[in-house]
Amino acid sequence: MKKIRAWQLAILLAPALIIYALFSALPLADTLRLGFYTANDAGVRSFVGLDNYRTILFDPDWSAAFWNAMWNNVKFFCIHMALQNPIGLLLATLFSLKGLRGARTYRTLIFLPTLLSVVIIGFIWQLILSPLWGVGEKLMGLVGLADWFGPWLGQESTALLTLSLISVWQYVGIPMMLIYAALLAVPEEVLEAAHAEGASAMRIFWQIKLPLIYPTLGLVTILTFVANFNAFDLIYSVKGALAGPNYASDLLGTYFYRTFFGYQAQIGSPTMGAAVATLMFLVILGGVGAYFVLVQRRLTRYAL
Amino acid sequence: MTVSATARAPAAPTLVQRSFGQAGHLWVHAVLCLYAVIALFPIALILINSLKTRNAIFEGPMALPTAETLTFSGFQKVLSGTHFLLYFGNSLVVTVGALVLIVLFGAMAAWALSEYRFPGNRLINFFVAIGIMIPIRLGTVSILQLVVALDLINTRTALILVYTAQGLPLAVMILSEFMRQIPGELKDAARCDGVGEITIFFRVILPLLRPAIATVAVFTMIPAWNDLWFPLILAPGEDTRTVTLGVQQFIGQYATDWNSVLAALSMAVIPVLLLYMAFSRQLIRGLTSGAVK
Amino acid sequence: MAHVSIDNLRKSYDGRSDVLAGLNLDIRDGEFCVLVGPSGCGKSTLLRMLCGLEEISGGQLSIGGQVVNHLPPAERGIAMVFQSYALYPHMNVYKNMAFGLKVAGSSKSEIDERIRHAAAILKIDHLLQRLPRELSGGQRQRVAIGRAIVRKPRLFLFDEPLSNLDAALRVQTRLEIAKLHRQLAATIVYVTHDQVEAMTLGDKIVVMHEGRIQQAGSPLELYQQPQNLFVAGFIGSPKMNFMKGVVTRVDGSGVQVEIGGGLRLLADVDAGGTQVGDAVTLGLRAEQIREDAGVGEGQVLQGVVNLVEHLGEANFLYLTLQGGQDIVVRGDGNRSVEIGQPLTLSADSHAFHVFDADGLALRRRTPGNLQSARRQAA
Repeated sequence: MKKIRAWQLAILLAPALIIYALFSALPLADTLRLGFYTANDAGVRSFVGLDNYRTILFDPDWSAAFWNAMWNNVKFFCIHMALQNPIGLLLATLFSLKGLRGARTYRTLIFLPTLLSVVIIGFIWQLILSPLWGVGEKLMGLVGLADWFGPWLGQESTALLTLSLISVWQYVGIPMMLIYAALLAVPEEVLEAAHAEGASAMRIFWQIKLPLIYPTLGLVTILTFVANFNAFDLIYSVKGALAGPNYASDLLGTYFYRTFFGYQAQIGSPTMGAAVATLMFLVILGGVGAYFVLVQRRLTRYAL
Repeated sequence: MTVSATARAPAAPTLVQRSFGQAGHLWVHAVLCLYAVIALFPIALILINSLKTRNAIFEGPMALPTAETLTFSGFQKVLSGTHFLLYFGNSLVVTVGALVLIVLFGAMAAWALSEYRFPGNRLINFFVAIGIMIPIRLGTVSILQLVVALDLINTRTALILVYTAQGLPLAVMILSEFMRQIPGELKDAARCDGVGEITIFFRVILPLLRPAIATVAVFTMIPAWNDLWFPLILAPGEDTRTVTLGVQQFIGQYATDWNSVLAALSMAVIPVLLLYMAFSRQLIRGLTSGAVK
Repeated sequence: MAHVSIDNLRKSYDGRSDVLAGLNLDIRDGEFCVLVGPSGCGKSTLLRMLCGLEEISGGQLSIGGQVVNHLPPAERGIAMVFQSYALYPHMNVYKNMAFGLKVAGSSKSEIDERIRHAAAILKIDHLLQRLPRELSGGQRQRVAIGRAIVRKPRLFLFDEPLSNLDAALRVQTRLEIAKLHRQLAATIVYVTHDQVEAMTLGDKIVVMHEGRIQQAGSPLELYQQPQNLFVAGFIGSPKMNFMKGVVTRVDGSGVQVEIGGGLRLLADVDAGGTQVGDAVTLGLRAEQIREDAGVGEGQVLQGVVNLVEHLGEANFLYLTLQGGQDIVVRGDGNRSVEIGQPLTLSADSHAFHVFDADGLALRRRTPGNLQSARRQAA
């Protein structure tokens, strides 16, 4: 009895598809296309094939910056994987313990930073870590590590790490919530059965809970990957488009911004920007593809 | 095997308690408290110091504002120096506008895709699904060209359209999942009454979507509100500035005026805080229910 | 040795009123004890307290002579089969059954031997490598039982194991569980809300209601001598007919009760403290009413048929008596009865039950209705 006419279907689908195509899908495709072009000073575009890519990847003037940004991004991602997701897992596990008093309050409070704008967070931490204000130093003094304090955001060697930690601090909420939801879905009786068989809390966690949430852990990983390789706001608001000091905190996102719009001495180039965007797209696509092919296939969603 | 504690816990004892005794329970609270402090401390610090005089900020950063050190000068400067309320209004318009379009158009598309079989259904599904993974920013070059061509530069409309495009794929997926769970009997009963398909959508399905809307709202409004990239590129003008962009510009300008900087940050944080406190339950429910995919 | 001793066991949540109030129960070694009652009566809570998944608020619980109040489940020598089977979804059948033994530190060969032995008993040898989601409901249930068997517990706990199965499978599995009990010679505590299951499986049945034990005894005892209104109404299908009345005569032949419509019926019970004029409830089982007068003592009931349910081997006749009471009668399936047809029925005095104003039963002097009991158990 489900008779729907073609024109009715069209009405239902059209608005969403049009907006999506017009402002998301087609621009992306167009950007990919644009990467194969170059524009001369008069603004006339001509097809140059893979020249732009060769320049970005291999030309000494360009490639150093690109590979620096790429390498920084990888480090950025690794730090998130090492800290953000395990901490999120730990918090989610604690929340899911039956009978924990005040769990809801903890959840609400700990999730707050995730809600706020990265820009705000970036500034807040900039102030806290500012040697001028000295709050950071005082806090470290509380645990006896006052000597360790330094202008981390301003130092080449520590800038990226510090920014990564700020980002981790903010976004722990997301894996925390996603994993918590997955843990909730584990049937209580399965955990009780394990307990009735004498399994300790640790064994239950490692041998029962964790295997049953592998799909969610995979999802969290891929979301982290996409978000990290897209990151821009934090670096831009704390360090500006130049992502200093000396490009130490440059990520692909900021590199893209600079290439496209130009900054100070560097002139912006839409075509080169498009090429950078395409490369970013390929990196993300590669990561997502690798995940689906290698990981997702092995992960079976166990009927709970 | 450890022997459980003899405590007469009124509720069923947690696994941790049973394994580690009362001490285990304390450890859990200790860790959670510690992390809660880590999570909230920076924000609290900003709020406290936004109300203090410049000297007090530097001399006693962790002290609460007293009668002597209390001042609203930072807030006054922000409010008079910028159109903060305008920025706030812009953010609201953009975010809510995008949400409305996303829910309406997303529900329509989700309904079409999940309910009916037609040639191209799977293809369109796939087309929309990849939108979730692929970041919209990469197409900025072309989006900017399009916006300029449509003469929408520096308008809130441009932002609304872009955020709608950004949020549609995930919304369609969440809403399709949700719609599949609506009992078939409801729809069939309406069909038996001879109600047309489109009417079924608007009269029967749409009103049932309320729980899913919370989930969609969480995943679309928060990124839109907090976004810096598109306001910066598409609508940087004074009239259309959003809160996020406004704060960023303001701070960039008044970097050394700590009073004002702290006040601006606070003003950006407080509305979100208030909304969060009011809606945290729905928000978290929306997150955890929608995330179980 | 696995006798279970429940001594004044109490359970309350957060100091609120008791969910279970002062229970006393003894379960002999090797006995099949069924806890039965409506939802919320506390039977599952009691089972979970036996297992160790719920704290005991008061009283003492002993298994095999050992007080186990504060022992964790694994140290009590018990194994539980959950209502939803609670198999580990990501482990195959073999690993599911091996898990508890691995925790206990058994050797690989020991584990393997026990699993193969249990799998043979339950006929799941061919399923050992499968995942739970690849099994049918009945197969999953057998794996859950297998997981319990390999632990060689002294006490088996079953939590409504048949409620998730379809009707045909339920009957078949019921037989298998009964067979298993004899094979393993195990002590079993079994929770169900289905009184037919209880009657067919249990050596001892414990009827529970609102956190209290209403009566504990053999199936026949519960059927023939229910101690109160609740047990009488709970055991037996269809439900016992209850008719309110007043005592009109008490003597050596029993207690005579007048119910509505001037009908006086004699019940062969010990009067105890009951006197003429007391308000009582008369109970009469559907299967003990005969479809005509003239046989036996011939205490006659007249009524009009409202509804007939045909089951093939029997008819359930729903009548309204001349005094306005609605009763149900189990009639011969070969007879045809029409709606609106007036019927004359009879019942002997030893078929009646009498319950005083507090709902307590007066002792029946000749409860021998074995034939009906056997039919009931089919």
